[in-house]
Amino acid sequence: MSAPDIHLALEDVQTFIGQYQILSGVSVSAPRCSITALLGRNGAGKTTTLKTIMGLTPPRRGSVRLDGQDLHGRRSYEIAALGIGFVPDYRGIFRDLTVAENLQIAERRQGDFKRKSELVFDLFPDLRRLIGLRGQQLSGGQQQMLAIARALVPDNKLLLIDEPSEGLAPVIIEHLIVAIRALARETTVVLVEQNFVVARQLAERYVIIESGRSVQAGAMSDLATDRNAVQRYLGAA
Amino acid sequence: MRTLLDDFSKNRVLWITLGILGALLLLATQSMQLDDWLLTVLRGVAMGAVIFLAAAGLSLIFGLMDVLNLAHGTLFMIGAYVGWSAYVRPDTIVDLTTPVLLLTAGFLALPGLQALIDHWTLPPAVARVWPWIAAGAALALAAGVLPQYPISIWNAGVYEQSPVVWGLALEQGTLVPPEPATFGGLHPIAAVTALLAVGGLGALAIAGWRTQPSGARAPLSAWALAGSVALVGIGLLVVNDALTAWLFGLDTTWRFGFAIVVAVVVGMALGGLMESTLIRSTYSRPIYQLMLTLGLGVIGMQAVIAIWGRPQISMVKPTLFNGTGDGCPARSLGDWLANQCATIILFDARVRVYNELFIIAIGLIVLVAISLVLGRSRLGMIIRAGVQDRAMVEALGINVQRVFTLVFAVGTGLAALGGVLSGPSTGLTEGMGESLLLLALIALAIGGLTSFPGAAAGAVLVGLLQQFMVKYGQIGIPLPFIEEPFKPTPPLVPASTVLLMVVILLVLPQGLFGRKE
Repeated sequence: MSAPDIHLALEDVQTFIGQYQILSGVSVSAPRCSITALLGRNGAGKTTTLKTIMGLTPPRRGSVRLDGQDLHGRRSYEIAALGIGFVPDYRGIFRDLTVAENLQIAERRQGDFKRKSELVFDLFPDLRRLIGLRGQQLSGGQQQMLAIARALVPDNKLLLIDEPSEGLAPVIIEHLIVAIRALARETTVVLVEQNFVVARQLAERYVIIESGRSVQAGAMSDLATDRNAVQRYLGAA
Repeated sequence: MRTLLDDFSKNRVLWITLGILGALLLLATQSMQLDDWLLTVLRGVAMGAVIFLAAAGLSLIFGLMDVLNLAHGTLFMIGAYVGWSAYVRPDTIVDLTTPVLLLTAGFLALPGLQALIDHWTLPPAVARVWPWIAAGAALALAAGVLPQYPISIWNAGVYEQSPVVWGLALEQGTLVPPEPATFGGLHPIAAVTALLAVGGLGALAIAGWRTQPSGARAPLSAWALAGSVALVGIGLLVVNDALTAWLFGLDTTWRFGFAIVVAVVVGMALGGLMESTLIRSTYSRPIYQLMLTLGLGVIGMQAVIAIWGRPQISMVKPTLFNGTGDGCPARSLGDWLANQCATIILFDARVRVYNELFIIAIGLIVLVAISLVLGRSRLGMIIRAGVQDRAMVEALGINVQRVFTLVFAVGTGLAALGGVLSGPSTGLTEGMGESLLLLALIALAIGGLTSFPGAAAGAVLVGLLQQFMVKYGQIGIPLPFIEEPFKPTPPLVPASTVLLMVVILLVLPQGLFGRKE
């Protein structure tokens, strides 16, 4: 087997927010068209890792590379324009914009939304009838679908999804798992997931982050049998 | 019907407040003649339109960037004074354009220069020192050339040449275009080259001060832009005298159009410059930001006083709004257009076309235009989204910084538009900016700070209240149980608006259209 094609690589990333060091050595490598889950307890630094990749909290040390290209010194919008879609943990839906506008605003070239609407509505058929509603009128699950759909409007090659399952009903979670797995056929996905059961169904690879450090990484199938690690780092069986 | 009821129950307090206001307005018709009432309402709305032009920018800037721009009043004032200059002394504006464009050209070449510098490998000591030398050279050159550069201008220190006299001369039709200034000992080509060099050296110094290599892109387009700006500047120098003569020959209606364009362009340029050089570095430090904009406002105001002088200067109304001859006051809009009357009779009231109708019309046009941009365009979508969540907009790949600069420039441009519009109706005074800023801030608080329709509603409310207080100051309010009608004294006029704000904020802490945080 040849060396895997690494799409996104973080190497010993250290990030400060104000004077507090949140990340003190996170390394992640995500192969192309795979799903990698960042696991760990609350406050371990998973969300900050995603924000660091996006340049929202730029790293002080270490490197973030996309296709081998160092992202150091780039502004958030420049990083996003390289083909990264970001779904934050709070979903980031614009409440005064309609569903259609929430999708259109993500266009990077004119007509992106039109070209992608079929893909978006195939994955999330519910959005079609919600198209005229404002962001603030949507339920949590609808917002989550819209947030992921929005990340699909431009030609993104990498999706960063923070807590896709949080606060959603089990039926919707199942729907999301199917949708994200379908996406990963053509897109690299890095996601943060608190719910280990969901993470196990979704991801092929995992990275465990503990107190701002990446402590263990590998194939998800191996972790599922490693009860010791699951107990120690995730506090779940 | 359903939605109407829903809407009512959701915004109960808002509708009740508006209902009370409507009732008060209706009540006012009982205590005064209908024509007086109509006139007061029109004056109030016109005043509201001017306040709105300032408040609109304030609310857009505050909503998107969380910047409370306390220099906004000064930009309103600068708009008025610059507009006055373009109106009364277009020669000064034409003379100034060339040096400003030549200096700008140098700074527009900044990305190109930056790319050039990235290739330099200098010893650290030299690299640290040379930008200062370049800056010093730029300053010295500017100090040498600029005083000799021919700019024909008024002189606030000498009464005969002061803006007061120039304004009066235009009003009385005795204005004689001043002799064009000439290059004395300075050869024009030398002056042009020197000014280009000043801009270039200044930009070079800025590029040199940057510690990180910029990785500047597209230097070619930067050179092209700088070159074309410089060419326009030189072209204007060639046609300077002809252009000046043509502007002086224009009817004042057309020259007022020119004044509006100049004022808005200057207002936008100053706002864009302010945002991109000073305010940008204070986004995370609100206190510094307040002090910065307050300080800039004071500096700007003193600069205006230094250039144009303290006394009130007048700006005669454009001919389209100034006729008094046959057929005036006009009976209809067609009449007015035919005879260019200053006043028009509407429902028995003598309404001044400029003060009461033209200003309201411009206010309405701006209101509709901005609403359309906000509601229909991609830029508007980005602004509405950015008001809520800047980081998310940026994470979608949108350069929010550029949108900030644009919105700031548009906001200050609108303030300048308000300034130049109020010139012919109220005259130009040293305190016009401050008092307007206060009214605009009150309007903003009433409307709900970040809400654009709120800014419009708040501005009109403040304008109406002020004008009704002024009117009642003359005729008195008949109150029950008191023999004498109550006459609000002049200090009560500004106090009433503050009182209105207090009452509204007590009932609706978020303002009329504000959103609960």
